[in-house]
Amino acid sequence: MKDIVKVSYSPKGPIISGKRGPFLTTRLMWSEFVSSKELIWRLFVRDFSAKYRQSVLGVFWAAVMPLITVGMFVVMNRSGILKIEDVGIPYPLYAIIGLTIWNFFTVGLTACANSIIGAGQMVVKINFSKVALILAASGQGIVEFVIRTVLIAIVFIYFGVAPDWIGLLIGIVCLIPLFLFMVGLGFVLSLAAGVIRDILNVLTLVLTGIMLLTPILYPITGDTFLARTNVYNPFNYLVNIPRDFIVRGQTEHMSEFLWVTLLSVIIFHTGWKLFYLAQTKIAERI
Amino acid sequence: MDVVIKAEGISKKYCQSLKHTMLYGATDLTRRFLGMDQHTESLRSGEFWAVDDLSFELKRGECLGVIGPNGSGKSTLLKMLNGIFMPDKGEILINGRVGALIEVGAGFHPMLTGRENIYINGSILGLSKKEIDKKFDAIIDFAEIGDFIDAPVKHYSSGMHVRLGFAIAAQMEPDVLLIDEVLAVGDVGFRAKCFNAISKISKNAAIILVSHAMPQVARTCTDICVINQGKLLYQGKNVPKGIDYYYSQFEGQKGIITGNGDASIHSIEFESNGEKGIDQINYLDDLNIHLNLSVDKKVKKPIVGISFLSQELQIVSQCTSNFNNVCIDNTGDQIKIKLNLPKINFNPGYYFISVYVTDETFRDILIQHYAIKELKVQGNFVGLAPIQLTGEWDIQN
Repeated sequence: MKDIVKVSYSPKGPIISGKRGPFLTTRLMWSEFVSSKELIWRLFVRDFSAKYRQSVLGVFWAAVMPLITVGMFVVMNRSGILKIEDVGIPYPLYAIIGLTIWNFFTVGLTACANSIIGAGQMVVKINFSKVALILAASGQGIVEFVIRTVLIAIVFIYFGVAPDWIGLLIGIVCLIPLFLFMVGLGFVLSLAAGVIRDILNVLTLVLTGIMLLTPILYPITGDTFLARTNVYNPFNYLVNIPRDFIVRGQTEHMSEFLWVTLLSVIIFHTGWKLFYLAQTKIAERI
Repeated sequence: MDVVIKAEGISKKYCQSLKHTMLYGATDLTRRFLGMDQHTESLRSGEFWAVDDLSFELKRGECLGVIGPNGSGKSTLLKMLNGIFMPDKGEILINGRVGALIEVGAGFHPMLTGRENIYINGSILGLSKKEIDKKFDAIIDFAEIGDFIDAPVKHYSSGMHVRLGFAIAAQMEPDVLLIDEVLAVGDVGFRAKCFNAISKISKNAAIILVSHAMPQVARTCTDICVINQGKLLYQGKNVPKGIDYYYSQFEGQKGIITGNGDASIHSIEFESNGEKGIDQINYLDDLNIHLNLSVDKKVKKPIVGISFLSQELQIVSQCTSNFNNVCIDNTGDQIKIKLNLPKINFNPGYYFISVYVTDETFRDILIQHYAIKELKVQGNFVGLAPIQLTGEWDIQN
């Protein structure tokens, strides 16, 4: 005999009977997540195989695009258009690690932002956990990151430099706040894109802008306005701290890192809660 | 038997203008997020009730037909019952799993194979991998797609696409099943299979069926609910009465007049039991139709005919002068015709009449009044077929 779930739909939202008490929303969010683990995995595999089956060169592109970007900066540096100060390790290595970490964020965020609209009719016709769409999409960032790790390894070997092995592990763990930041923002953007499509067009532009203004492809130091603002730029820490660990095995910004971690957790939780509460409202408007 | 789905005074409001939609959407969301009271019970400017105060409850084995003209709120109701969005007033209580035969195959990824899509779609519909493994063969069997199961779905014909979608949805063993017109898909054989699958599910589930096909509603439903513009017009167990109400929504529709203009019809009148000017008769009564028309002199022997149409505008029966070996001689003067049709054995309900005049060849239509007048047939039963024969029964014990 299968257990019978009793659900009630009212203006207050869907409620599974027998659940009440403090932090009800948070607990409902959590149980929705747990029950849709399998769906998240299926959707992730779907997106993954569809993307990389469609273009044989999918993996190739994922590896070549950062090479081209970094190559341009190397040329600009050599020709003196752009003065990049000494970063302690070969510059291409520095740039490609930063860019890979940044891409981990942007690829995931773009996928999340597109996920609700991309699902199309499914969202308004089938009752399923929409959280799964976002979480599955966030996996795209991880996939691309893994592909690019191979590229980084090749660049390390080419320059005959070894990463700090323990630092490498810590660095990868330090990507978790960036991931949470990305998913939290992805929740909000996916909803917003459902109402205002333009957001998706603006997103690419904004992300490129942030990349150029944050010390990702080059260090920003000195007593300039940009350097002073970057002290308050969470991306500065979210990208540079993992890189510091990978390259040098240590960082000077531990206390700032705790703050951005806290910020990321808050953004993640707020974004998720907003999404949870809004998902039925959004279905009316797509 | 236990009640599996219960709706209490559910209502849903929509907004006409985009500006208001965005504004209200944003305020509602902010209030909700901050845990403030939501004033969902009243209308703000620019809003209207798309579904207004509906209540019902269903037990296993029961089937509620929801009928109404386009834009009456049927799909909105189904979406609320499916949990896609919440009612603005009232409450829906559901005991068990809800299955929906709405847009089957939504969510298929064109690049992936049928096999992969079965697993993805199944898990979107809430089936676990184990359940899908167990039902996999049954799904392929039902969908009749054979070797195509390992081909990308984009290479499927539209029929295969729908068949696969239906096959997955049909494996759900739901406690509540929502059906929205999906049965209009596929060829005859597959449709019969769908009906079988649904009637199998219906033994253990409550069904809510949205349809425009009245014969289907009459056949399947135990309860009926007629809505128009969100308002409830009729609700109850008397399905034929509900269907009657539904048809009455379309009254006053003008017919279409076509033809080359060489003839004109001045009047059409019904008579039964000596009473003229009527618009309804009893089942098996005689019907007299009085026609008053004039035809251009150059057409020497015009042909006059009438046909009866069902509410779905399907021709049910026809009576034409030349088929009855009747010759009409035309002099150009007005022609008065009294046509007697004995024992009208139509299924009780509403019908339209069309009157047409053609030339001798039966090809050139001089004039046709299409679905120009309505006739109601009254009776104490409602059958499925448009013609209800009266037989001579000889029963031996």
